[in-house]
Amino acid sequence: MNPQDRHVVLVVLVAAACRAGAPHAELPLPPPAPTPGDTTCTIAAGRAAARDTVTLAVTDPVDPGHAPLPRNDAERLVFGQLYESLIRVDCRGRPLPGLAATWEQAPGDRWAFTLRDNARFWDGAPVTARDVLASWRSHDATLAASLTVTGDRTFTVPATDAPFQRLADQALAVTKPAPGGGWPIGTGRYWLTTGDPGSPDVLVAQPMARTGQPVVKIATVPASAARDALDAEAGVLITDDPAALEYARTLAGYVDVPLEWNRTYVLLAPGRDKPLVGDLRLESLREAVRGDARPAEWSGPGRFWFADLERCGIPAGRDTLGAVGRRRRVVYKQSDRSAADLAARLVGLGALGRGAVAAGVPASAFESSLRAGTDAAYVVELRRRVYDVCRAALELPPWSSAATIEPLLDVRSHAVVRRGLPRMTLDWDGTLRLTQP
Amino acid sequence: MSFRARLLLGFGAVVLVPLTVFGWRIRVVMADRLTAEYQQGVTALASVIRADLDRQSAGIGLRLAALREAIGQDNRFRVAALQGGERTYLLDYAGDAMRLAGLSLLQIQDETGRIVSSGHFRNEYDQSDPALPRLLAAAPAGTALVEARGAEAPFLALARVDSLRVGGRLLTLVGGMAVDSSFLARLTPDSELTVAVALPSDTSAAVDPATQVVSALDVPFVTAGDSARLLPARIVVSHSLASLVALRRGVALSFLVAVLVTGLIALLLASWLATRISRPLTALAAKTADVDMDRLDVAFESDRPDEIGALSRLLGAMTERLRAGAARLREAERRLAMGDMARQVNHDIKNGLIPIRNVFRHFGQAAGESPDRLAAAFRDRQATVESSIAYLETLASNYARLYPQPARESCDVNAIVRETVKRVGETGQADVRLDLAEGLPPVRTDPLVLRRILENLIGNAIDSLAARAGSVTISTGANGQAGVRITVADTGKGMTQEELNRAFDDFYTTKPGGTGLGLSIVRRLVLDANGALRVETEPGAGSRFSVELPGEGA
Repeated sequence: MNPQDRHVVLVVLVAAACRAGAPHAELPLPPPAPTPGDTTCTIAAGRAAARDTVTLAVTDPVDPGHAPLPRNDAERLVFGQLYESLIRVDCRGRPLPGLAATWEQAPGDRWAFTLRDNARFWDGAPVTARDVLASWRSHDATLAASLTVTGDRTFTVPATDAPFQRLADQALAVTKPAPGGGWPIGTGRYWLTTGDPGSPDVLVAQPMARTGQPVVKIATVPASAARDALDAEAGVLITDDPAALEYARTLAGYVDVPLEWNRTYVLLAPGRDKPLVGDLRLESLREAVRGDARPAEWSGPGRFWFADLERCGIPAGRDTLGAVGRRRRVVYKQSDRSAADLAARLVGLGALGRGAVAAGVPASAFESSLRAGTDAAYVVELRRRVYDVCRAALELPPWSSAATIEPLLDVRSHAVVRRGLPRMTLDWDGTLRLTQP
Repeated sequence: MSFRARLLLGFGAVVLVPLTVFGWRIRVVMADRLTAEYQQGVTALASVIRADLDRQSAGIGLRLAALREAIGQDNRFRVAALQGGERTYLLDYAGDAMRLAGLSLLQIQDETGRIVSSGHFRNEYDQSDPALPRLLAAAPAGTALVEARGAEAPFLALARVDSLRVGGRLLTLVGGMAVDSSFLARLTPDSELTVAVALPSDTSAAVDPATQVVSALDVPFVTAGDSARLLPARIVVSHSLASLVALRRGVALSFLVAVLVTGLIALLLASWLATRISRPLTALAAKTADVDMDRLDVAFESDRPDEIGALSRLLGAMTERLRAGAARLREAERRLAMGDMARQVNHDIKNGLIPIRNVFRHFGQAAGESPDRLAAAFRDRQATVESSIAYLETLASNYARLYPQPARESCDVNAIVRETVKRVGETGQADVRLDLAEGLPPVRTDPLVLRRILENLIGNAIDSLAARAGSVTISTGANGQAGVRITVADTGKGMTQEELNRAFDDFYTTKPGGTGLGLSIVRRLVLDANGALRVETEPGAGSRFSVELPGEGA
């Protein structure tokens, strides 16, 4: 088996492993000990070569304001290196130590966590249980209220019906605000430096510990310049651009690794009074987008997480506008090319009837329109996998629990990985992490 | 209407009416000429646009022909179209080809009308629109405006159709250029000209001839949708009349300002002229209105060298003649009355004297012929004499009653002097001094007459000062045993002998505005009061008038 074939096999293995079901609430305790040499969740696991610097090229924008909760693949890649939750969940759904080194059953139906010995913030301050409490207070007040600090590095949380894996949610990553704003201070294995003032689109992440990890440069490039990033010998390119992927396949030094189907485009329409796409030939949607896509399907048990929002107890807001009061537009975020293609296709197929149009609007206008539900339908990109459905539901507009949510397409990005790169592992939610060689 | 008003209206009419007519005429001529020029411009532009559209249509045809060649030689397209492979290539083909060909609309349909690839709306693939190429082919010159469907919004395009065969399949190419604002702007060489498309469904395309000049050319139009039809649309070239309206408004405003300014100047000029002309006339008329037979002392002196001055002097001379004539007339009347009275008195006295003369003639005859009978004759004729004398006395009483006698009463001269001085001296025009003797006997006269006498004398004395520093002194004193003397002395200009000689004539005066009757009246009143009037005067030193009145016991 030549190296290229080996990579393909590995990719297939990763894909198969990551199709495992969603993590269950009753996961076995105590924490597992990672098996040395376990490469189940490792991508492009060829012979790794030590490098001083690795450049990660991404085509989506990285917004510090979103940290630590990523909104796109680029942010998922960057934030995954910078911020840590208590635990990680690997591609097979197995919980792994993160900021917490160990956890165990505690009296009173609680879980007791012990933080990693060497856990420190970027500014050098050790991470304490009180830091976890303070960080959670800003993200989830209910969860924070249930946390009991038992020691400098120990605390307990109640074992509820919610899945244990929810503690891996990036939204619960432990951070503290940076003086003067900007990037929140995290506890990850990398920390961000100011970078090169002459290259504002390049972020530089330095390893926290001198354990042989390379410096990571994150370069944000336009989608049209993705091939240029490969020519510039980027270590990893995260993209869904077919032209770039086609070009990468012609380059012997790179391997194309399809990542998980981690995003689903849905048609989100206020009200449930009228089926929007019932008679439309949705199988033709696949050809409407240029990236890697497939008809939306849920392969695991149950349904899409967003199909059952009512169980989270989110009250269905009253539809004050009604169908007549809304503009007959399929609205999408202007910067999202796949959403634009889908909206255009839906209009082409006659969704919303004759005279309806697709409308791309800037991100801020899209958010405010989506929040108010003033348009007839929205093409929205959602995460396929979430650790905590009810937490994820909060990211949807308040009227979503009484809305029509029609899954359209699953999409995924590809990681074009330079051969000989330090290893990268894939988490259950699609987060890529550089691992120690 | 007054002369002044007529003058103002006349000036206004002479200045404003021609100016207004001139301005209105300029506006009309200007509007007609500019409108004609605009109409010429839009008509010419419509012809140019027709030629331009023909060129555009030909250009679209050439590009479609080139695309037809390229598609025919593209094996990848052939495989995708015939065998269904590389669907993405097929879907993206029209978009790439459209951009390369510089078109805004490109649709590739198969023989059933199904959209195989669309450049302007990539994701309308597999939709069916067979009417579009059919209607385009039926349009005159094979070109028509099309309401093309887009993802974001429909748009208007100038389109035509072409076709090719690929492996036995007939493919139709519909290509076109967007007819948007930039396209229309390119057709418009002048920023004041506007080119717009009026679709059959466009009800708001009505043209208001009052606001724009219009020319239109017909273009076939293919409606969108399932019931697509070929209908006439129009490309409307218009020239807004807004600039003309603004120009007219500006001209009107300028003329209005000119009219107002000119009118104001004319008004001021007319007002000034009217004032210059009418004021002396009005004053002259007022003076003339004052002239009366009893008031002929109005002064018409003028030093104006113009007609008004001449008229004023003529009126003055006429008044002077009237005054002289009136005096003569009054004197003649007086003399006539005196003559009549004298004749009547002569007649009446003679009537009374005739019996007396006859009696005395009888007495003379009796004395000469028989003196002893004189006594008897006297007794005989005594009654006759007494009767005649009684007649004459009655006659005298009757004549005396023709002149009313003033009321006579006991008067305190000093009190009347004080009262009169108080009244006359209130004017403060002169320094009036009193030197009154105490213990004067009362005089028997009419106090009103005495007051009139004093008023005239004191008034004349004050007037004689003529704004010079000086004084008027009124003094009283005894005149003989029972009489009283009242003296009014001034330090004024005095009188010459000639003036003194005429001082008591009626209507003689040396004062501007004087009546010339004051001293005449004084003399008559003094004489009626059985008094005497004396005058001492010296030019430049003043005058001294003395009134001597008899006492009550006299």
